[in-house]
Amino acid sequence: MSTQLTTRRSGHRPNFLGSVGGWVWLVVIIIPVYYIVVTSLKGQSDFFSGNPLLPSASPTLANYQLVLENDFFRYLLNSAIVTIGAVIPTLVVTFMASYAIVRGDSWFIRSTNSLFLLGLAIPIQATIIPIYFMITRAYLYDTLVALILPSIAFAIPISVLILNSFMRNIPGELFESMRLDGCSDWQMMWRLALPLTRPALMTVGIYNGLQVWNGFLFPLILTQSPSTRVLPISLWTFQGEFTVNIPAILASVVLSTLPLLALYIFGRRQLLSGLTAGFGK
Amino acid sequence: MTTLTRVQRRSAPIQPRSAPVQRRRARAAGPSGWFAAPALLVFVCFAVAPLVGVLGLSFTAWDGIGAISWAGTESWATVLSDPVTGNALAVTAKVMFFSFIVQAPISLLLGVFIAGHQKYRALLAVLYFLPLLLSSAAVAIAYKALLDPNFGLSAGLNIPALAQDWLGNPDLVLFVVIFVIAWQFVPFHTLIYQGGVRQIPASLYEAADIDGASRVQQFFHITMPQLKYTIITSSTLMIVGSLTYFDLVFVLTGGGPGYTTRLLPLQMYLTGFQANDMGAASALGVILVVVGLVIALVLQRLGGKDRRASQTEGV
Amino acid sequence: MIRHKLLKTAALATAALFALAGCGSSGPGGNTNADSATMWGLTGGDETTYKSSIDAWNADNADETIKLEFFANDAYKTKVRTAIGAGQGPTFIYGWGGGVLKSYVDADQIQDLSSLISEHPEVQSRYIPSILESGVINGKTYALPNNKVAPVVIYYNKDVFAEAGVTPPKTWDELLALVPVFNKAGVAPFSLGGQSKWPSLMWLEYLVERLGGPEVFQAVIDGKTDAWSDPAIIKALTMIQELVDANGFTSGFSSIASDSGADTALVYTGKAAMLMQGGWAYQGFKKDAPDFVAEDKLGFIEFPSVEGGKGDPKNIVGNPSNFWSISAKATEAQKKTAYDYIVDGMFTDAYIDDLIASGAVPVVQGVEAKLEASDDSTFLTFAYKLAKDAPHFQLSWDQALSPAQGDAMLTNLDQIFLKEITPQQFATTMNATLGK
Repeated sequence: MSTQLTTRRSGHRPNFLGSVGGWVWLVVIIIPVYYIVVTSLKGQSDFFSGNPLLPSASPTLANYQLVLENDFFRYLLNSAIVTIGAVIPTLVVTFMASYAIVRGDSWFIRSTNSLFLLGLAIPIQATIIPIYFMITRAYLYDTLVALILPSIAFAIPISVLILNSFMRNIPGELFESMRLDGCSDWQMMWRLALPLTRPALMTVGIYNGLQVWNGFLFPLILTQSPSTRVLPISLWTFQGEFTVNIPAILASVVLSTLPLLALYIFGRRQLLSGLTAGFGK
Repeated sequence: MTTLTRVQRRSAPIQPRSAPVQRRRARAAGPSGWFAAPALLVFVCFAVAPLVGVLGLSFTAWDGIGAISWAGTESWATVLSDPVTGNALAVTAKVMFFSFIVQAPISLLLGVFIAGHQKYRALLAVLYFLPLLLSSAAVAIAYKALLDPNFGLSAGLNIPALAQDWLGNPDLVLFVVIFVIAWQFVPFHTLIYQGGVRQIPASLYEAADIDGASRVQQFFHITMPQLKYTIITSSTLMIVGSLTYFDLVFVLTGGGPGYTTRLLPLQMYLTGFQANDMGAASALGVILVVVGLVIALVLQRLGGKDRRASQTEGV
Repeated sequence: MIRHKLLKTAALATAALFALAGCGSSGPGGNTNADSATMWGLTGGDETTYKSSIDAWNADNADETIKLEFFANDAYKTKVRTAIGAGQGPTFIYGWGGGVLKSYVDADQIQDLSSLISEHPEVQSRYIPSILESGVINGKTYALPNNKVAPVVIYYNKDVFAEAGVTPPKTWDELLALVPVFNKAGVAPFSLGGQSKWPSLMWLEYLVERLGGPEVFQAVIDGKTDAWSDPAIIKALTMIQELVDANGFTSGFSSIASDSGADTALVYTGKAAMLMQGGWAYQGFKKDAPDFVAEDKLGFIEFPSVEGGKGDPKNIVGNPSNFWSISAKATEAQKKTAYDYIVDGMFTDAYIDDLIASGAVPVVQGVEAKLEASDDSTFLTFAYKLAKDAPHFQLSWDQALSPAQGDAMLTNLDQIFLKEITPQQFATTMNATLGK
């Protein structure tokens, strides 16, 4: 967003303390990641006998094979469906709402905004019992829709918050001139507001995408069968099923993270600048 | 010192995005409120209605599979007289407090650190953000393996001080949980601070350099004040967020050993879906909501007027 | 009411909107599609038995198929109730009998099988009679045994005992005397899956059984006032804490999960000398450490007697068996499939052979010869005799009690093992849950 503002600290006066702290944190972050990867490549007997921190002398991909054979791709697909199914509608409805909130000014709009902001303070977990009740009574239990609907609802407050702050930065003159050209509010929303809030939509999409992709509570309570299992729950069940096969459990952790890692590697710049723009104010 | 404060004050007008207040007046007709209707509908159905529902259910008796019957304040009496509830509140408060104490300074310093433009810092940043990609379940499972007293990390290290029963020792486990939470969430807050720091006008630092201010002085007199809203945003997310560390703790410790890591949301889940007392669990849910709202109000009060002004602006 | 209707309409409308997601959710075999009956089994020892039995059944009965899915123990217990509450439980519900079964029966979720049994007396007569008891509620049969007798016994590593030059304990005092011996040798005396909590419970169950007999726990089930304050329970809790103090359990026992098999791993890797576990752990040893079992390094004994105890030292605790119950919410076709399977599909010769081959004692009569002939005859005849000769077979307490009581009991017992509370505090807390 605003890198042009900061050309400061380009190398002069080395920050010794900062560097030390930075490297220490790197170690803290890396050790568990390293351990996960190294262990996932070990055979079971290797795991019991060798030093946990050293890579195996005879690395094996057998654990990965085991996980892939245990319906990994189905869970991956489920996670993708739920994430996309929740994020896209969230973007549409919150974009429209935010447009109305920022451009409109009525009692209804103002109270809607306050209601959304209030939602920021409410922990999702608190409502899980009524949600379970509603979902079962609506015959949606054990469907992916059951995960999508509450996920959208709980993504609304933070999304509206971020989008509002972006929307407010669109100069009012632009809207005025479009209005003079005879554009309706509906047209202005799509032609003017949408392109200008794209970075914020990106942020909202990524943030909520991560939340939904990694979500645990809704799938734990609202689904049950393997056909609706998503990745975080599959990890949890693998944990019980693979008995003491810790290397296989860790292989499943690696595999479940790979899709996001791939996205991160290819879309890192976008992802980080999106998040930075959305929150860093 | 005085120079610095002056610099700061001078800088206020050039701060981006402090202007839009007057734009509100430019609104003439504005779009119809119906544009907000879809979001409102979903929100009311799946967030507001459950909130009303949880209050309602807290006055009923329901075992999750049978019929729901009116029970008056029976669940509330159970929950409020149960020492486990008080314990869960205390554990939640401890986790909230220590998480904040640990995460806030680390995130702030790391954010400032990686906001610099040196190449190696950019590289470090790439690695720092790895935990963001892992789900709480994955983090918990990995740490569980890592901390296993017999087959995990401690067995391989020849440092006796590190060979502890991290998840089984009631005196240690809470701090392990707080550490793992920090491991998972510091990257996100670092990111927020990085973004915040990068929006501080470079001219402020240049002026301070000319005045001969040290790096530490610059940090406390430019960086910190300039990051005020970022600090408020991040702290709010951090503190309110600590009410939601359900999945991590559920998979990592299951609330144990004993009741040592039974957070309020976990106690609610176990009461509802393990002990099958949905009425009592709903009462705990109401308590959770009240705690969340109180904290949000307190934070808003602490943020003061500026905070309110900033809230009308978004974050 | 209006709210529910509104919600439902809104939910369905939104659901229709997200056609993409809708497609995904109705994927292969989402829930009880068609008329296939569904069955949820537990991963672990009996997995193969169930699997080959259902495979064989489906091959012979194409019009009455059963769809089998497996869950890990802890995950299953978490899931099954929510699923049943949502009206989407399986046709065959896996269970332990006791208080949990009763709570389902009270909620009208379970089919009464009494008439099926009277129509097919051969079903009833195939079982060891005492085992059927756990599936009977209010005089009606709601659950039928589906696998094995699983008394809780003490397993030990013969090599570790030989190295220390000691023999397995016959009395509690001998057991206590072994603790310092193993600790000095750098081996944990007992492995324990404390994180799973229910393995800790076995210690309390056995000690109370030995000290006070079955009446003590029966009083708890009956909800008698202050039943938990019985001297036998207080004494048993005190003895547990003495054992903890003497470092009787492996360090870090409260972070060891039985579900992951880490408790048995400690025994076969020689890090612990003994492990008290259910009969199913033998299957676990066989599966995870086949060489260890084949080379006859695994020993087993019954729980030692306790001097001056009132209970019969022949009494055992554990799981008399696991059970299938039939969901009352299943379709008629599913129920019919289930009944037919119970009558014709279970405990066929192949089924019994599979169970025995996995290292389990089937709950049926007249299998002595088969047990003798198996590779695991030592363990199997040992467990079979234990079960057959026991005057009383106590069902695991966490299954015998209601879920709410069970949960409180397990967590408070966890605190006993951690020495966070005293036996008296335990009794006081638990007395407050009586009748809940």
